[in-house]
Amino acid sequence: MKNNPLLKKLNLRYLVSLLISIVLAFIIGAGILALSGFSPLKAYGAMLSGAFDSARHVGDFLEYAMVLCICGLACVLGARVGIFNVGGEGQLLLGAIFACQVGIWLDGFSPWIVIPAAALAAMIVGGFYAFIPGVLKVKVKVNEVITTIMLNTIAAYLCQYLAKGPWKNANKNMVAATEQLNAQYWFGNVIPRSSLSTAIFAAAIIAFIVWYVMQKTSRGFEMRLTGQNPRFARFSGIRTDRLVILCMVISGAMCGLVGMFRVYGAEHLYRDSVSRDYYFEALMVAMIAQYKPVTVIFLSLFFAVLKIGAQGMELIGVPSQIYLIIQTVIIFFMAAESGISASLQASAQKRKAKLAAKARQKGDVQHG
Amino acid sequence: MDDFLNILGSVFSAGTFNEMLRRATPVALAAIGGSLTEHAGIMNIGMDGMILMGAFFGVLGSALMSSAWGGIGMVLVLGVLVGLFFALFVVKFRSDEFIIGCALNTFALGLTTYLSRAIFGTSGAKGYPSLPTVDIPFLDSIPFLGEVLNHHSLFVYLTWLLVFVLWVFIYKTPYGFWLRASGEKPDTLRTAGIDPDKMKWIASVLCGILCGLAGAHLSLGYLNGTFAENMSNSRGYIAFACVIFGAANPSKAYLAALMFGFFDAIGLRLQDYVSSDLTGIIPYAITIIMMVYVVIRGQQKKKHAAKRLPDPAGKT
Repeated sequence: MKNNPLLKKLNLRYLVSLLISIVLAFIIGAGILALSGFSPLKAYGAMLSGAFDSARHVGDFLEYAMVLCICGLACVLGARVGIFNVGGEGQLLLGAIFACQVGIWLDGFSPWIVIPAAALAAMIVGGFYAFIPGVLKVKVKVNEVITTIMLNTIAAYLCQYLAKGPWKNANKNMVAATEQLNAQYWFGNVIPRSSLSTAIFAAAIIAFIVWYVMQKTSRGFEMRLTGQNPRFARFSGIRTDRLVILCMVISGAMCGLVGMFRVYGAEHLYRDSVSRDYYFEALMVAMIAQYKPVTVIFLSLFFAVLKIGAQGMELIGVPSQIYLIIQTVIIFFMAAESGISASLQASAQKRKAKLAAKARQKGDVQHG
Repeated sequence: MDDFLNILGSVFSAGTFNEMLRRATPVALAAIGGSLTEHAGIMNIGMDGMILMGAFFGVLGSALMSSAWGGIGMVLVLGVLVGLFFALFVVKFRSDEFIIGCALNTFALGLTTYLSRAIFGTSGAKGYPSLPTVDIPFLDSIPFLGEVLNHHSLFVYLTWLLVFVLWVFIYKTPYGFWLRASGEKPDTLRTAGIDPDKMKWIASVLCGILCGLAGAHLSLGYLNGTFAENMSNSRGYIAFACVIFGAANPSKAYLAALMFGFFDAIGLRLQDYVSSDLTGIIPYAITIIMMVYVVIRGQQKKKHAAKRLPDPAGKT
């Protein structure tokens, strides 16, 4: 109980700096918009209406929030034990294409068989793809950031090859795409004409489980210990190597599953619009949330609104990438928050000291 | 068998090695820049974004001033700014290098794509003035070497010079000594009266310039005045791998970049036989293998060193 006020204070500080960062990022974004000849007010107006003007867009941003949230939690899971899974993009793509292909191979079976099989395939492929850098990190000590990024590019090429070659959709001439899934396997639509599907309920359950395990169980405590002080964790009897690899594999499986959700819920076949660097945006969200699960969930919603809203900006001719700029500026501010406040404090102290010195001098003169 | 020999012949032709130099150069430029930050103790993940911005602003400058040299000038200014920006966060505010690097990459992707669409429209920038190729007349008379070494953009030759200059800078000058100390023993350096942070600032500004030039080579030398969205295509990360492979020694990092360029060029040759999507995998897979090899060798060396240490004590 004693800790509570302190905890609140920390959260308050985080919230305030987050709010300031967001406001500043929007101001900088407005500056860039104005410099490139767009009216910032109009553009931000289009962003707002782009996200909220119809039920369809609301559904779209909820679906995107789901993607961000699960991928972001996958990243948090790795970061908690001290391994950065930057390879979620590759895991997602491979999960998506394998899940899709399982649905095509098993065409004709009942959905009760096909959908679990596809989910399993996505999780196995995604998990295996995360297992490689995980083992390399733990057993060989190879920097996981480089390996996962290389694996991302490899996965993207591989999926491109599969969707253009062996698993190609005969009806699509030039584009890389697989066959379409039979309609009986599609996830039901929650909001008509939007890409929001029943997958969001599964995602909510996953998010809850991840949060519960990380925050409320002793395994979650072991994870935090491993991430913060691996030596101490090892000495206190935690098998850190196994835990790190396990977290990495689960993280990869979650990303693979998101790929399956994208295919069965929204796209109904594999093509490159399954993910356009979505995992990297989720990574940014996880970083802004400072790897805290609950914060990830809320920030996912916020950034999903921004993203879908930004697509509305395209209607008035503004490139939607302004969204990426705003998002990264927020990260810059958040990452530098403690540094900036420290240097502000230092300069304030300097000023105070100077003033005090001056006052003292004056005092000396008067007395003298 | 004949087929196989044909493939082998085309793989090891002069054209492949020519292509290797062309493709290795952007990675090499970034890698020697990364060597500087690596020595200064900064894990520079953000090189990819620096390259991307260099590529875009090179084309923009070339378009604005209708001269490739204008583009290079703009890239130099930009490189300094990006280096200062990076150092501001990493050195001054002491933020997490990993987060700043990742954010810088995404920021560069967003900014260049946004500006490219806002300025050049959705089809992208194409066909702006590019760097001329350098023709050395007497080289042509040498049969194989001439074909490999001649008719490159200026940057290919500039890189050789820079590798040498930076090698001298890092290992033979007091500045290089301080630079290395700022990463390895910052407190000792401070005791010696030199601010390690200052060396870090210098390293990251130089790295910004070199990565910017790498990008400029990509858009102005390698492709003819063309910018494509996300055209750095993870080259910054490959450069980072080269830095680690070369233990932050510019000449070794350059060799690693050449290796990358070689496999990239082989992929191009094999495209007649295998799908280009599969050959595209080769350089990235090689990079992973390279990283694993380097780390394992490093550990073995350490083990040997540890074994050797007690020996003299035993003898005396």
